[in-house]
Amino acid sequence: MALKPLEIYKLLPKKNCKECGEQTCLSFAMKLAQGKADPASCPYLDSEAKAALSSQTGAPIAKITIGMGSRMITIGEETVFYRHDKTFYHEPAIIYRVVDTAPAEEITALAARIREEKITRIGIDLQVNGLAVDLGSGSLKQSVTAVTTANEGGDIPLVLQSEDPEILKACLAVCGNYNPLICAATEHNYRELCDLAKKYDAPLVVRAPDVEKIGALSKECMGLGIKKIVLDITGADSGEYLSRATLVRSLALTRTAPELGFPILLDCSGSVPDNIVTGIVKFASVLITPQLPVAEMTTALVLRQNIYTDPQKPIQMTPGLYRIGDPGPDSPVFMTVNFSLTFFTLQGYLEAARVPCFLLIVETEGMSVLTSVAAGKLNESVVAEWITKTSLADEVNEKKLIIPGYASPLSGRIEDATGWKVVVGPRDAADIGRFLTEEWK
Amino acid sequence: MNYILPHTWSGSIQTVTIGATKQEGGTRSVSYEIGGDTDLPFMNRSGKKPLLAYEICDDTAIWPQVVRDAMPKGISDPASWAAYGEKTLKPDCIRLNLTSTRKPNSSDFASISATVQSVLAATTLPLIIEGSADPAVDSEVYIRCGEAGQGERLVLGTAEADRYRSVAAAAMAYDHIIIAQTPIDVNLAKQLNILLRETGIPDNRIIIDPYTGALGYGFEYTYSTMERIRFAALKGDDDLAMPMISAPADSLTVKEIRESDSPSEIAVSWERATAVASAIAGAAILVVRHPGTVLPLRTAIDALWEGSRREVSDGA
Ligand code: B12
Ligand code: SF4
Repeated sequence: MALKPLEIYKLLPKKNCKECGEQTCLSFAMKLAQGKADPASCPYLDSEAKAALSSQTGAPIAKITIGMGSRMITIGEETVFYRHDKTFYHEPAIIYRVVDTAPAEEITALAARIREEKITRIGIDLQVNGLAVDLGSGSLKQSVTAVTTANEGGDIPLVLQSEDPEILKACLAVCGNYNPLICAATEHNYRELCDLAKKYDAPLVVRAPDVEKIGALSKECMGLGIKKIVLDITGADSGEYLSRATLVRSLALTRTAPELGFPILLDCSGSVPDNIVTGIVKFASVLITPQLPVAEMTTALVLRQNIYTDPQKPIQMTPGLYRIGDPGPDSPVFMTVNFSLTFFTLQGYLEAARVPCFLLIVETEGMSVLTSVAAGKLNESVVAEWITKTSLADEVNEKKLIIPGYASPLSGRIEDATGWKVVVGPRDAADIGRFLTEEWK
Repeated sequence: MNYILPHTWSGSIQTVTIGATKQEGGTRSVSYEIGGDTDLPFMNRSGKKPLLAYEICDDTAIWPQVVRDAMPKGISDPASWAAYGEKTLKPDCIRLNLTSTRKPNSSDFASISATVQSVLAATTLPLIIEGSADPAVDSEVYIRCGEAGQGERLVLGTAEADRYRSVAAAAMAYDHIIIAQTPIDVNLAKQLNILLRETGIPDNRIIIDPYTGALGYGFEYTYSTMERIRFAALKGDDDLAMPMISAPADSLTVKEIRESDSPSEIAVSWERATAVASAIAGAAILVVRHPGTVLPLRTAIDALWEGSRREVSDGA
């Protein structure tokens, strides 16, 4: 069970020397309890205290990286069971799988797809993260060629899928310095694979038929000095995965089984795309899938973005005056809320309308139009406040403000409070183009 | 070492029976008991498998374009639509959305009764009805529905905090189940259940609709609210222990679908993923509109609960 700050404090040297970077031993203890500090930062811990603290503090689920450079994947470090308890931190990596018997052009094309394909939502680029090479051909030469092709550029994180130490050894000779995920150690090969993982300091997947055996194997690997472990708990179908993932996550978070305190891998090759959804909402950190059609890919990326958004703070825009195109003193002025989703949706349609304009974003604590009207966060005084703060009146000749259709109940009050003429725009931003040509001026 | 889940639960989900067979005083070929779960959804294959409802309407004017485009040809009325749904898609229930009542000043209440009767006659499955959304016509609409479906143990929706009396009265008078909808908030869901209970509706006649925001446009709030409701119920909060319904209809009108070159594909994907995630969060009934969603959703739910593994061709 997790230690409380005071229990941790008792184990510290109480020198208050600040060498750990904290003002006092007590604040260091608080950080440790939250999993936000490393016991190694205190140089004065005796070895007994160090051992006790290392197993009881730090993130209950290890942080692990795969690949290098700008596309490097970070997983793990999760601290809660439900996203509403705080937030989930590191999105699961979606990894496309390719077989090593595929022609080189196909592998190159897939790597290029992973490199280039993206969808942009609320100003954030969403992408598939890496490439898994299934080294199942049985031919060493073929495997090495495929991995060499996949690793061209060195930027796309790789997963090497094989249980054969010889094949992995040869492939790691090609890409081992790029921090690939070795997949997977089993009870038969784990000694050799631990050696390889150590040699390249690369993360290692452990795989066994059930959670008990996965835990036992993970313990063995830990005993051999491996610290970067990923647990393959796939199971026969999404139902079995779900039960296993729930068990592993619970035991990891309560520190009941430190050998399960590692990120989870779900291989979706068997049951796409249902498993992807299950994995995204329930605790997977690595999802290996066949190459997805655009529709499925988009769905997975958006669901992932939803689930990994911090529930306490919606993604927000800084309130203020924004310009679309190059507006002048006679350009229209639109008003909206500071919820990012609202802004980016609106911005897309305003740009498409090709009419340069001003966009005034007022502070509504990141709530959408309807929500902020319902909650009273969007009101005449907020609008008046931001018209003043941005000196909007100095920008345009005519004091005329277009408000969202859903904010129409506020139009009279906004006119009274600001002295601006209010025009109620359409409800759906998709109608803005039509509104500008047909109704504006 | 034997790993055991570190938590136990004291509460369980209320059971609700929907539909009525001949023996039960109705005319349905089947009735279902939903709820009764005593653990997190699908944990160790426990609990009940969610029901799949295919939704139709009596006026397609406000139906999502992508669904209208996917409608089979030759369907001109709700009865033949429902029959098509039952035969071809094999859902567990039908939901009839009385979209005709959304027109300003709608008052053709006689045809509401006729529509409900014709749909009941055309199908053998339990029926969920989504009635009006306007307090001015609620009372008439719900009474017609309640009456037309007497004995069938319909599921009547939707009760909301500021307009629940009409639907509650109809459900009480004609022995139906009621859907209680609140805008994505645990406390509001709890309050509405308490209000409904005060009108005399027993707990085993209430289904919670926590409102399903569109994927990409608020679904994360829905997902967490559903998890919180389920968690509260398992912890022993009886006011939140009713089974939940999820209808990802908002997911069918999002920008991603409207602006796509292959809207149908993305609509099915969007609707299915939202429904699957809702099921994992605890929904007992999943309502979908796109005919293409029903079968893949069925496969997904089977994979969560029955252990059937779907064969897929390797896209690599
Ligand atoms: C997700 C959500 C929430 C989230 C908040 C999300 C957020 N960050 O705002 C949560 C769960 C917190 C929430 C809370 C509440 N919600 Co709420 N929520 C929603 C939901 C499902 C989606 C909202 C959304 O994200 N829309 C997407 C964005 C992009 O839409 P938008 O901002 O309106 O922008 C569009 C247009 O307005 C237009 N537009 C935007 N700006 C401009 C500017 C101009 C000039 C023009 C022309 C157009 C334009 O373009 C955009 C695209 O078309 C809606 C249901 C729905 N279908 O809308 C309910 C909804 C808005 N909520 C509602 C309610 C009642 C509430 C609560 C009051 C309930 C409560 N819990 O007490 C609270 C209020 C918050 C509080 N007290 O703290 C009601 C509002 C009822 C009403 N008609 O007034 C709704 C409609 C649900 C319902 N059917 O009952 N909600
Ligand atoms: S380094 Fe160690 S002794 Fe010094 S303040 Fe930090 S915890 Fe205390």
